[in-house]
Amino acid sequence: MRRAKQANAHTLIDLAKAWLTIGSRSIGGGPSSLYLMRRELVERRGWLTHREFVEDWALSKVSLGINQIALAGLEGIRVAGSPGLAVTLAAFLIPSGLITALMTAGYEVVRSEPWVKAALNGVGPVVAGMTLAMALTFAQGAWRRGRAGVFDRAYWLLAVAVGLLALAPQVAVLGTGIAAGLLFMRGETSRAQADPGA
Amino acid sequence: MSPLDLFFEVLRAAALSVGGAGSLPLLRESLVVPGHVTEAQVLESLAIGRLSTGPTGLYVVSLGYFALGWVGAAVALAAAVLPPLSLVAVATVGRRWLLTPWAAGIIRGIALSTSGLLVATSVQLVDPGAVQVALALAGLAAMLHGRVHPALMILGGALAGAALEAL
Repeated sequence: MRRAKQANAHTLIDLAKAWLTIGSRSIGGGPSSLYLMRRELVERRGWLTHREFVEDWALSKVSLGINQIALAGLEGIRVAGSPGLAVTLAAFLIPSGLITALMTAGYEVVRSEPWVKAALNGVGPVVAGMTLAMALTFAQGAWRRGRAGVFDRAYWLLAVAVGLLALAPQVAVLGTGIAAGLLFMRGETSRAQADPGA
Repeated sequence: MSPLDLFFEVLRAAALSVGGAGSLPLLRESLVVPGHVTEAQVLESLAIGRLSTGPTGLYVVSLGYFALGWVGAAVALAAAVLPPLSLVAVATVGRRWLLTPWAAGIIRGIALSTSGLLVATSVQLVDPGAVQVALALAGLAAMLHGRVHPALMILGGALAGAALEAL
């Protein structure tokens, strides 16, 4: 926060440039965004120490929704206070959001082409498999060690079963997760990769 | 579906999930079942999200576009930003509280629920044919391996689909 007080127009322009770079070049999702954040903010510009970056990253893990947006916000505030937050979110998300929307619009133009349909028959299951891998990795990072981890794994398996068999509304599963978390899953914070973005 | 409806659906899904793709189960339920988008569009939005820049969770922009065009894309992006922004707001006043065992328990409960539902959703998105299952397993293995760029995996899937069509 000490650097936040030193924010000026020059800093904000540099901050926008850094996040435009991250927002427009991080192809492939989370890991490439994380790598570019670390490179631009820690190594190249020296706005954050490695420790501060890891602290923000660990904190962003407790965010609801897209945790990289939380990470970006925390870093923007560290560098330039509230104006830094606004600049960071705009420069990070507007380019990537625009690129995503443009790609979707472009896809809609060619969607009915036979070669696109054929390609999608292969892309669909691969993407589903990739999403499954993300879900598994996510679970592994969330469950605790030791006996407590047995409970976490059992709860996770229950959520999988309820989802597969549609035994209850998904909101009910999430509500149960909050209650179970408060009552039975307190303790160590989620295990984190020691060197994010490396 | 109005833009406001889409806004609240994306906001609800993002606020009740953890992680980039964590909102997928709720969004699939609220957008595919009523017919606002198709199952194929869900997979397409995931693929586009992976090929595009930014966080993985920005697949919601693509999904919003499929539902309501440019307005849908903008609305979905705005809604997806709010839940993580709330963490930033809380962190400015009580950073220490967010790292307590209580907060960790709440987030762990949501994370395990989200992950379990996401596993189920991913399995349900795969057609039961042998080739489709084999491709899904290939995507799973490549992603778990962690050394193949996601864009290359999607390219591989596209080539496999085209090759199968040509055979």
